[in-house]
Amino acid sequence: MVLDDLGKSLRGALDDLRGKSRIDEEDVDAVVKEIQRSLLQADVDVDLVMSLSDSIKSRALDEEPPQGTSARDWVLRIVYEELVELVGESTDLPLENQTIMLAGLYGSGKTTTAAKMAWWFSTKGLRPAIIQTDTDRPGAYDQSKEMADRAEVDFYGDPDEDDPVKIAREGLEATESADVRIVDTAGRDGLNEELIAQIERIEQEVNPDRNLLVLDAAMGQSAKSQARDFQEAIGIEGVVITKLDGTAKGGGALAAVDETDSTIAFLGTGETVQDIERFEPDGFISRLLGMGDLKQLTERV
Amino acid sequence: KAKLFATGKTVIDEDDLQKHLDDLELALLQSDVEMGVAQEILDGVEQNLTGQTRRRLSSTGNLVRDALREALYDVISVGQFDFEERIAQADKPVVIIFTGVNGVGKTTSIAKLSHYLDQCGYSSVLANGDTYRAGANEQLQKHAENLDRKFISHEQGSDPTAVIYDAVEYAEANGVDVVLGDTAGRLHTNEGLMDQLEKIDRVIGPDMTLFVDEAVAGQDAVNRAREFDEAAEIDGSILTKADADPQGGAAISIAYVTGKPILFLGTGQDYPDLERFDPEAIVDQLLA
Ligand SMILES: Nc1nc2c(ncn2[C@@H]2O[C@H](COP(=O)(O)OP(=O)(O)OP(=O)(O)O)[C@@H](O)[C@H]2O)c(=O)[nH]1
Ligand SMILES: Nc1nc2c(ncn2[C@@H]2O[C@H](COP(=O)(O)OP(=O)(O)OP(=O)(O)O)[C@@H](O)[C@H]2O)c(=O)[nH]1
Ligand SMILES: [Mg+2]
Ligand SMILES: [Mg+2]
Repeated sequence: MVLDDLGKSLRGALDDLRGKSRIDEEDVDAVVKEIQRSLLQADVDVDLVMSLSDSIKSRALDEEPPQGTSARDWVLRIVYEELVELVGESTDLPLENQTIMLAGLYGSGKTTTAAKMAWWFSTKGLRPAIIQTDTDRPGAYDQSKEMADRAEVDFYGDPDEDDPVKIAREGLEATESADVRIVDTAGRDGLNEELIAQIERIEQEVNPDRNLLVLDAAMGQSAKSQARDFQEAIGIEGVVITKLDGTAKGGGALAAVDETDSTIAFLGTGETVQDIERFEPDGFISRLLGMGDLKQLTERV
Repeated sequence: KAKLFATGKTVIDEDDLQKHLDDLELALLQSDVEMGVAQEILDGVEQNLTGQTRRRLSSTGNLVRDALREALYDVISVGQFDFEERIAQADKPVVIIFTGVNGVGKTTSIAKLSHYLDQCGYSSVLANGDTYRAGANEQLQKHAENLDRKFISHEQGSDPTAVIYDAVEYAEANGVDVVLGDTAGRLHTNEGLMDQLEKIDRVIGPDMTLFVDEAVAGQDAVNRAREFDEAAEIDGSILTKADADPQGGAAISIAYVTGKPILFLGTGQDYPDLERFDPEAIVDQLLA
């Protein structure tokens, strides 16, 4: 597999540094090149990769490593720190009453994520409800209702209504007794002005405490512009990466959090309502670089 | 060198060429062409150009660009065939199975293709082989109602092969031209579900298997195209959501690893939003 090769070549490049205490520019160039390849193959935005590798390079050459640190561990630590800085912590989700709206591209996993999140909140002792406002996709109501049943949570939708704003308004009233209201929306993209205007209207009606952008782990370079468009339209407080049970690495999320100045909230790893995890930066960064447990490696420094 | 300039020719300088190739590699990555695929394409371009004396175009950049355009066109135009002609020639009913990962647009593409076939004068029946996902039956059924087509389904959890088998029998008995068989979305890492796809392929023996993927897909497109082609050999692909990402470098990756043509582009959520794929147009977008 290409991806395994990459983790290997990155490890190889770093291993070349093993035993060295001083790093010269050539060493750094070689390692930075491999890191660029890892990140690009993980769908991290090209510009972001370049600016990341610039700062990694200048730090590796300019900063003085702590006493007794090998060149290899030092470079690794810089890479890790730069990525942590970019990714940040997991989105803060207080376990209290709130309304969350989900937005994102067609088929990215919003409806499934709504049910997963509802299930997750219910395991925390809160009472969630899902409000389904998708009036565009055939069968959206049935899908969402069935997922809500599987998650054993309250549900509101209206298959005969074609105004999503009205469904949202009536849904908020109907689910008043719930602690956490999760508003699902139809799929859309930033280039579609009509659908962007529609979600702006829904957002105004719902006035959510936070909006989450649901992003397919396999999404390519357009993650950046899409995230920017959603940010401009409704504001994004967090990102959910779905379909991480495949081989895609979810690097698009880096550009998304960068563009929206937000963080990652959840990871989706399957089609059932339990297949959801709270985001945890270390594992994600290891996955991006195709290397196991980076944190442990860097903690030695 | 001066002499060559005077005759309008130049020997391509290797360092200069490398710089242009590096720039082009980034440009390809930026439009989501997979890295390995981009490198192989550029290796071909380099081999074509190094050490050669060529007619001097306006700059090395243009020369390299033209070579790349050609190389991309070769990849993306692979195996193109006339879909309508193939339908016309085939024994009826023609059975077409749609495969692909979760949420790329298989079900929607079936509805669109049914509309397209109708425009060409062919009748079709929609068969829901997605007996897995919540709301899958209702989704395809609504499409069938909207389009006024016969819809064949079994209850959730049943064998998808049996559904498609039923649809073929229905088509044979009722003189329907084309059976459009949906399958559940699945990731290529899910062995159980990939085996199920193999079974559909083996038992039904479809006339065509169309792999559906989306224009917004990134580097992973090669992995899934390869795995799906291995599980149930594909005859061509449909690239959806081109309206959300007009560049669609994923098309290059998919055509390259499968060696099979991209046949249609999905350009929206409505039934007429399905276009015959134009290799030249995509190359223009990629190099724009
Ligand atoms: N394997 C896997 N599949 C997922 C995951 N999340 C969602 N899916 C699948 O992806 C497909 C699309 O999911 P949906 O929840 O319908 O996506 P959506 O964003 O609501 O789609 P639209 O409403 O049409 O925009 C379905 O087949 C889901 O079962 C995940 O984490 N892993
Ligand atoms: N804008 C746009 N949306 C599309 C296109 N094709 C599909 N969609 C949308 O993408 C979403 C997912 O489409 P589906 O047809 O349900 O995808 P699928 O592959 O059948 O999904 P699963 O069965 O869950 O794996 C829906 O919201 C569709 O309306 C397209 O070409 N353009
Ligand atoms: Mg949905
Ligand atoms: Mg489907």
